Amino acid sequence: MARSRLTRTEEGTLTPATTSAFSSPYAIETPPGCEGWEEMYPYYALFDEQRRETDENRFWFWNSMHFPVPMPAFDVICIDSPYQAVGSWQNRVFAVPPAMGIDYRCVNGYIYISGNPVTDPVKMGERAEFFQKRAGYYLENWDELYAKWRVKMEALIAELDQLRVPELPEYESDEIVFGDDRNTSFYEVLDAYSRVLRMMDLMWQHHFEFLLLGYGAYATFAEFCKAHLPDIPDQHVAQMVAGIDVVLFRPDTELRRLARLAVETQVDSAFEQGRSPVEIEAELGQTDAGRAWLAELEEVKDPWFNMATGDGLTHHYRSWFDDPSIPYASLIGYVSALNAGEQIERPREAIEQERDRLAEEYAALLDEDARTPFRDLMALSRTVFPYVEEHKFYCDYWFLTKWWNKIREFGALLAEHDFLESGEDIFQLSRYEVASALDELLLTWATGGAPHGPGHWPPIAARRKELLARLGEWTPPPALGVTPEAITDPMTIMLWGVTTDRVRDWAGQEDGGTELNGAAASPGIVEGIARVVRSVSDLADVLDGEILVCGSTSPAWAPIFTKIKATVTDVGGVMSHAAIVCREYGLPAVVGTGRATTQIRTGQTIRVNGTAGVVTLVEE
Amino acid sequence: MEYSRPLVELRREHEPRFGGKSTGLGELMAADIPVPPGFGVSTDAFHAFVMESGLAGTIDAAMARVSADDVDTIMAASQAISEAMRFAPVPDSVQEEMSRRYAMLAEATGSDAPPVAVRSSAVGEDGQDATFAGQQETYLWVRGIDHVCDALRDCWVSLFSAPAISYRARLGPAVAATPAMGVTVQLMVDAAVSGVMFTCNPVSGDPSMVAINASWGLGLAVVGGEVTPDDLLVSKVTREVVRESVHCKEIEYVPDPGGRGVMRVDVPEDRRLERCVDERALAALTDVARRIERYFGCHQDIEWAIARGDDCLFVVQSRPVTAVPKRDKEPTAPTAMSFVMRTFGADRGSL
Repeated sequence: MARSRLTRTEEGTLTPATTSAFSSPYAIETPPGCEGWEEMYPYYALFDEQRRETDENRFWFWNSMHFPVPMPAFDVICIDSPYQAVGSWQNRVFAVPPAMGIDYRCVNGYIYISGNPVTDPVKMGERAEFFQKRAGYYLENWDELYAKWRVKMEALIAELDQLRVPELPEYESDEIVFGDDRNTSFYEVLDAYSRVLRMMDLMWQHHFEFLLLGYGAYATFAEFCKAHLPDIPDQHVAQMVAGIDVVLFRPDTELRRLARLAVETQVDSAFEQGRSPVEIEAELGQTDAGRAWLAELEEVKDPWFNMATGDGLTHHYRSWFDDPSIPYASLIGYVSALNAGEQIERPREAIEQERDRLAEEYAALLDEDARTPFRDLMALSRTVFPYVEEHKFYCDYWFLTKWWNKIREFGALLAEHDFLESGEDIFQLSRYEVASALDELLLTWATGGAPHGPGHWPPIAARRKELLARLGEWTPPPALGVTPEAITDPMTIMLWGVTTDRVRDWAGQEDGGTELNGAAASPGIVEGIARVVRSVSDLADVLDGEILVCGSTSPAWAPIFTKIKATVTDVGGVMSHAAIVCREYGLPAVVGTGRATTQIRTGQTIRVNGTAGVVTLVEE
Repeated sequence: MEYSRPLVELRREHEPRFGGKSTGLGELMAADIPVPPGFGVSTDAFHAFVMESGLAGTIDAAMARVSADDVDTIMAASQAISEAMRFAPVPDSVQEEMSRRYAMLAEATGSDAPPVAVRSSAVGEDGQDATFAGQQETYLWVRGIDHVCDALRDCWVSLFSAPAISYRARLGPAVAATPAMGVTVQLMVDAAVSGVMFTCNPVSGDPSMVAINASWGLGLAVVGGEVTPDDLLVSKVTREVVRESVHCKEIEYVPDPGGRGVMRVDVPEDRRLERCVDERALAALTDVARRIERYFGCHQDIEWAIARGDDCLFVVQSRPVTAVPKRDKEPTAPTAMSFVMRTFGADRGSL
């Protein structure tokens, strides 16, 4: 089998074959009424006629995991910045020999990505020298470097918390005159805005510092297992490595603890199905025990309520602070489970024992000469894995939800001065347009002249909201361009679940059919009613015993997993969140089907075979 | 002279006289694997048969005319020896011992004429190539001492089939001149389901899997390749079914209602596509596979049967898997780090 995922350059990392199975990106039509959508995006993000020849002959896939909805103009920073960061580390710092970074393009508001392979052997040799030294250093000093990383990341979050977006006063305060070293408001606002953008870049730099190597180390272990135990289910490989006390599970663990506390202190009657967080808290506030419970909740909130409501990289994903209905839905579920006599705590010890049992049994079954590398690679994977899971909490949830809120403060400032109808509309302007609007606002605030912004920006924001709503109705195809001969990039495979087979399935499924293939992420077979969930707001509609069909899931969706029977996702590999959680809850899961949310309708009966990775549409 | 011994007393060291099949079953019993009781017949019994019935001369004379390259001489020798042997009586001393052992089986089962399987039990080097050596004779659902003795003699006769003579002739005069074999007589299980399993995946070589083939009825259908059996891959570690293909099993072998022998019948339509092993049976099979593998210390190819009525699992044969596919050897990478370097295409071998 393959010695390496990345080295087979004769196949290319994402080298195009001669035939094209997917639509040309240039053949995609603009949905009616969406003409001019391109104005929301940077010139370099478009499939431009000038580069048709190269772009048409590449393989592009829709990154629905990170960008499930048409991107608002401002949120494009969450494409640019991560791809700058991942490319910097992979291509310029570690110089991964056969792979540079990832290019992206925007079609009808949706983001398609494609990797850049290195094919020149001389260049690869040159890069290998760098990689060995630099990646070796990181892998050998992982725990120490990761400890520093946490400090760095928490400092950045603290700095973001402290960043002030000043109001614009009629007269500046006395301190400007009598105090030392104070700046005027126009400078402070501009400075805060440029700093907030730089913080985003810094977060993404931190985000990818360890991620490639973490995934690579894990991929190496997985591949070693596949070479020596060719039939080992993917989930067993993951189970042997997955963390037990990782930060990512803490928010949910805390909710379970609070649910038990509510039952034990007899305040559980407040957690009635259908009640809002405000109603529940009002009832709790009436008794001593209830107030004690609320005090305990406050203790838990920082930092654990910095969980996001989803995995996407857009401003739509808020934190539990912003939308407490998500954690409260969990609490209500856990309380009723406890009252029904169920055990709700994660069987931590059992999970731990099972993970160690699997590791020992597999080691014993291997040939003797394979045991030492098996154990060493597993140990290395276990070392890197906490980062692979935890960075999501620090970066994607904690930092990002706070950051979007900080941008909302700038939005509020612009809205206060009528540059926008509402603060939320700031996300309809690109970060450069916001800089421009702020420039004019501060200019006219300073000069006392009449601002043009209030006439200029609101219609633009209104038009774009309408565009995004219409683009949201459009279904992006899973891939564009030519079919690659082989997908060999480990990130693409592990994170997005985009493998050579999967791409072939996509190509074969262009015409529909009654079967969807994906990765067998969690074993078991069940039949049930599908519930297609396209956004966090649809989560409330999910009924007990339904099968969740979605783009991808995030840890913030925890409450849903106690209700559903199985999960099917469009995107994701066996290491994706949905896969990990379903294995833990013992629910069958098929991930990375490419088009589940477009081929399956809510209410349809489907059969999910998580052992084989097949979803069957039982009833048309 | 020791003509026979209960299977339960046989061990590997008895192989030169009792043959691999009988001693293999004895070893399984020693490992506490459920094996139907029975007894092994030794090569001494065969030699007594040849000596006392005056066949030695016939055999020597016929074999002297065999030329390894001449099919006609082989055919002629086979015919001469087989005919002589079929009319030769089994010596009284052997017959008496057979009666005694068979009576013990009868007593254990409470039946006058319990059904047994009579099979050849190859000895020596030939054991590896028993198929060629003509040591693969099997008579099923044999009942009554006379029929047991007939089957015993038929096993011996098979030593002189044309392919067996030809095979030995090619190995040289010494081998050709002195064939001998053991025979196994074992109670038969009226199998509702039976099949074969490997303690590894014989296709991929994965040592963490038990590969199970199963079909309705007696084992003949699967072993003889007369049905496409249900094909399951079960994890030794978690016992979950990792892959399964349930096939249409059109025929099965059942005991002949006439009381002796077996017959091939059609499987009722509604059971053809039904998976013939349930979760409980799979757990029992996986467990037994692991125990057998551990006892012998190498991968095993196991024949098994599940009794009609009480669902008891029995093993009727186990032998080493000789052809586990060699997985592509990984190029040596002494450390975990060098494996990771390879993943990123940054080791010397990748460049």
